[in-house]
Amino acid sequence: MPALALNALKILYLILIFLFLWQVAMAIRSHIGTGPSVKRSKGGHELVVLRGDARKGTTVRLRPSGHTIGRSPEADVVIDDPYASEFHARVETHDGGTMVHDLGSTNGTYVNGRRITVPTPAGKGDTVQIGKTILEVR
Amino acid sequence: MTRNTEAVFLLAGTVLASVGVAMVQFAGGGWLNADVALTFVSFAVAFGALHTSFRVWAPGANPLILPIAIFLAAIGSIEVFRLDPELAALQRWWLVLAGVAGASVVWLLRSSGVAVLRRYRYLFLAAAMVLLLLPLLPDTWPIHGATVNGSRLWVRVDLPFAVRALSFQPGEVAKVFLTVFLASYLADRSEAMSTVSRKVGPFKIPEPRHLGPVIVAAGVAFVVLIYQRDLGASLLLFGLFIGMLYAATGRTFYLGTGIALTAVAGIAASTMFSHVRVRISAWINPFADYTGAGYQTAQGLFAMGSGSLTGSGLGLGRPDLIPAAATDFIFAAVGEELGLTGSIAVITGYAFLVAVGFGIALRSRDRFRKYLAAGLTILLGLQSFLIIAGIVRLFPLTGITLPFMSYGGSSLLASALIAALLGRISHEERT
Repeated sequence: MPALALNALKILYLILIFLFLWQVAMAIRSHIGTGPSVKRSKGGHELVVLRGDARKGTTVRLRPSGHTIGRSPEADVVIDDPYASEFHARVETHDGGTMVHDLGSTNGTYVNGRRITVPTPAGKGDTVQIGKTILEVR
Repeated sequence: MTRNTEAVFLLAGTVLASVGVAMVQFAGGGWLNADVALTFVSFAVAFGALHTSFRVWAPGANPLILPIAIFLAAIGSIEVFRLDPELAALQRWWLVLAGVAGASVVWLLRSSGVAVLRRYRYLFLAAAMVLLLLPLLPDTWPIHGATVNGSRLWVRVDLPFAVRALSFQPGEVAKVFLTVFLASYLADRSEAMSTVSRKVGPFKIPEPRHLGPVIVAAGVAFVVLIYQRDLGASLLLFGLFIGMLYAATGRTFYLGTGIALTAVAGIAASTMFSHVRVRISAWINPFADYTGAGYQTAQGLFAMGSGSLTGSGLGLGRPDLIPAAATDFIFAAVGEELGLTGSIAVITGYAFLVAVGFGIALRSRDRFRKYLAAGLTILLGLQSFLIIAGIVRLFPLTGITLPFMSYGGSSLLASALIAALLGRISHEERT
């Protein structure tokens, strides 16, 4: 076969390869799904670790489905704190506000220094204490 | 993205492989012959078996694993065919065997799930150890080890009726078994291992007894290095241990210690063993000993250099000049005949595979499955990285195979097992 034809075949084959890869890439994208884009509103949507043994300064973006916080590696937000329970508290966002639920923890959950017994709203600047770890809503 | 789309991808991949083989024949001045059809059939059977097993016994399996696998296998088998049509004929059998083996794994786990592997972890550990030590069997036994290119990692079985001795590389499968063991072990211990209890200066370190596995890992890797003179396998095993520890605990401490230990072991090994020293000098300056230790690396570099942007074309280069081109240096052969463009496509394929694998791990809720998926992905990613990095001189050359692409039954078998397990894990996490 003439060299020119072979050259053209080669380029065609490379194009074929990349077409295949492109399709795979598109399939990966559709498989992962872009999901609804999360819009940031005024505030009260982040938890920042202020004081604690580990992960100081860690920022957790709150998502509408909520987070469990605790010592267990299964918790959404894991804190290394001997005074925290495995699943200590749950934080949920409802219509722009943040609610803190205590999940029957041994040492209690404190919002602005007060131990909570019922789901308690926490706004921007409020602190949430779990064990010896203090988090601030921002 | 469904099973049907997967089937379309697999058909496209099969065509990709056959067209490539046809192009090699055109370039050689020949016309189509049975090889093209046989390539088509072997790919169709191997991936058809895997696809059918997913369809029947793991319908929720991630449909992206096999399309990426077939892409890599296609490019690899074309280059193997181009280098040696006889090897390619064997490779077709290996491919079918690997596909059927992968499908059988999916079938075996159909009702019990991968959880059953967790229970038998010490069996897997023992099996992996035996497999790793098999090549050390003395030469006079009917089943014996064999030294190839200075590394003792082959096992040969002398069959009375066969002309050729049956040979395989048990280390390839041992790696998968070890991953199963580690995932199971870590699923039980990761909590304790991630708690930080002591502080030494600025470093927070876990309880010393949790360091046991890391030290065992380093030990195993070093034993493999000393007795089998296999730099690649020892690095790969050690990297796998460290990567999985990091994935399970999220502690950078393990990563740091691992890298530090690798560096220390590397320096120690290069002063103690001549074969390691030779590898390192061939890495830093392959042209200093062009006719000797640096020959393979240098030939690989020449091949990729002459390949330039789009390559010489399939069947038109001289990748046969590279020693071990069909196994370890398959990436250089691709670089020569399909150029930088083809090499990038291959690396993209591995990147996709790793992305899909970690995606499965991240989505898994069960710890064992999470760690297993992560471990298998680390294994695939690290192995491809180490050998490609060795070929392009990013890293000292380690003689390991490129998963899915290199010639070799053991390597293909291990790759198919990984694909099957990843598929099964993703199925279980879906349902």
